[in-house]
Amino acid sequence: METDPRLYVTLPGLPMKNPVMPASGCFAFGREYAELFDLEELGAVAIKGTTGEARIGNPTPRVAETPSGMLNAIGLQNPGAQAVRDEELPFLANYDVPVLANVSGSTPEEYVVVVQTLNDAPNVGAFELNISCPNVKEGGIQFGTDPDAAAALTEAVKRVSTKPVYVKLSPNVTDVTAIARAVEAAGANGLTLINTLLGMRIDAGTGKPVLANEKGGLSGPAVKPIALRMIHDVRQGTKLPIIGMGGVQSAEDVIEFLVAGADVVAVGTANFSNPFVCPTIIRELPEWLDKLDVAHIGALRWQGEKI
Amino acid sequence: MKNESLTVVENKTIAAKTHEMTLSGPLVDAIDQPGTFLHVAVPGEDLVLRRPISIAAVNQGAGTCAIVYKEEGDGTERLARCRAGDQLEVLGPLGNQGFPVEEPLPGDDVLLIGGGVGVPPLYFATCELVKRGVSVSVILGFQTAAAVFYARAFNELPGCDVHVMTDDGSNGRAGTVIDALNERPYAPDWLFSCGPRGMLRAIETNAADSKTHGYVSLEERMGCGIGACFACVCETNDGASYRKICRDGPVFAFKEVVL
Repeated sequence: METDPRLYVTLPGLPMKNPVMPASGCFAFGREYAELFDLEELGAVAIKGTTGEARIGNPTPRVAETPSGMLNAIGLQNPGAQAVRDEELPFLANYDVPVLANVSGSTPEEYVVVVQTLNDAPNVGAFELNISCPNVKEGGIQFGTDPDAAAALTEAVKRVSTKPVYVKLSPNVTDVTAIARAVEAAGANGLTLINTLLGMRIDAGTGKPVLANEKGGLSGPAVKPIALRMIHDVRQGTKLPIIGMGGVQSAEDVIEFLVAGADVVAVGTANFSNPFVCPTIIRELPEWLDKLDVAHIGALRWQGEKI
Repeated sequence: MKNESLTVVENKTIAAKTHEMTLSGPLVDAIDQPGTFLHVAVPGEDLVLRRPISIAAVNQGAGTCAIVYKEEGDGTERLARCRAGDQLEVLGPLGNQGFPVEEPLPGDDVLLIGGGVGVPPLYFATCELVKRGVSVSVILGFQTAAAVFYARAFNELPGCDVHVMTDDGSNGRAGTVIDALNERPYAPDWLFSCGPRGMLRAIETNAADSKTHGYVSLEERMGCGIGACFACVCETNDGASYRKICRDGPVFAFKEVVL
């Protein structure tokens, strides 16, 4: 696919030929989608959350549909950092696309181990610290809801990382800007937001929760207004680049996220309803630039007068 | 694996809350294995997950396939409202492991057991088996007479011996498919099954230690349908690993995974 130069966006560690990447956890390690389209069409790929050791995840059912959204409680199932480095990242290295490696853990030491293990993978452009997984007791959300803990974790990872570090913020907090400022002060190179919102569904017929884990992370178009509001709030409190996400499913949504203050966007749940959603959005973006009469996609980003 | 708009040729009610939809489009060319499924996008943007539906029959000459689904929630209710000429976004065929219909030899004792909406993929499997000259016995289980479908279609296949069981005895005989299985004097050479998990567990328990080559087709709530989201996993029997139902199945050999 010919790349429109108006779509190039360079973030720390991530030289992207367009501002669209699949979100972590919705794209595994790219193998399945590579059967459907050329991964080089994407701006970047965010890989599935990786922990120090392999994790088997939660019992099924792990997903439930909600109005304009879905709940998931996968539980960070992944093969562990070494297997990701040795078996998954080399596959993605066949494609000219930067990788954002999502790092999860129960303790700061585990995050550090994952980063140390993946540091030398040449196609990992940057790390994304998942301090916001709502689906496991030790999935990092304890770091994502307390500014001091988030800052301490960011510092610990920054000490060992040879790549830029993004911190993925949780929306399950009262003041997301306080966490953003804390991780910025601790040396974060960028922010990712939002992760899923903690939710629940109950089967009226049985009176039992639909998910085996009872609660799960809400995603999809239902969360888009919340994501836009939080990105807009955070944009006013930090200069860090923002990877925005939460219900993106069209080129029009991408424009909304950029105008709210994101630098690029990630697409999550929409990959499930339409596995071609990312390349489709990327193809449609130039028309939007024509329509809005902008010379470069970066010009759309809300600049944040209050910074 | 393709993603296409398929055209609804026919959408009819075949039993209580149970519908058979015939679809046409080039994607049908790729359907060659019973047990595989289609991931169907439901009309309306508010339903974000596709619905995995097993393939009940394929007619390559006509370029059509049939799927059977039960009206259980918002998604399947919308599918039930589709009319001839409507278009549906379909990804498929999905699944890398279907029923091994090419393996039984004519003369082998082949038994297929289906429960409720687990019956359709077994119809596809039976069609392929009888095409190869293999005679089969089929046990179909339903709650009640109003839920029974495909019994006549199975009966019309050559060399197909059909037993219908209903919980209340309102059609066929009263009892479960397990009752019918246990009445058989000897274990079959091949046993293909699809239905509720409890039924599959009971079938495996009753037949696993015999000479039988047994296979079960599993259902689970799915996200992507292609193996990327890790929603529909099941544990291997040795507890050491897992399988993705959408990608590694949906058909598994007895004892391959925990039912």
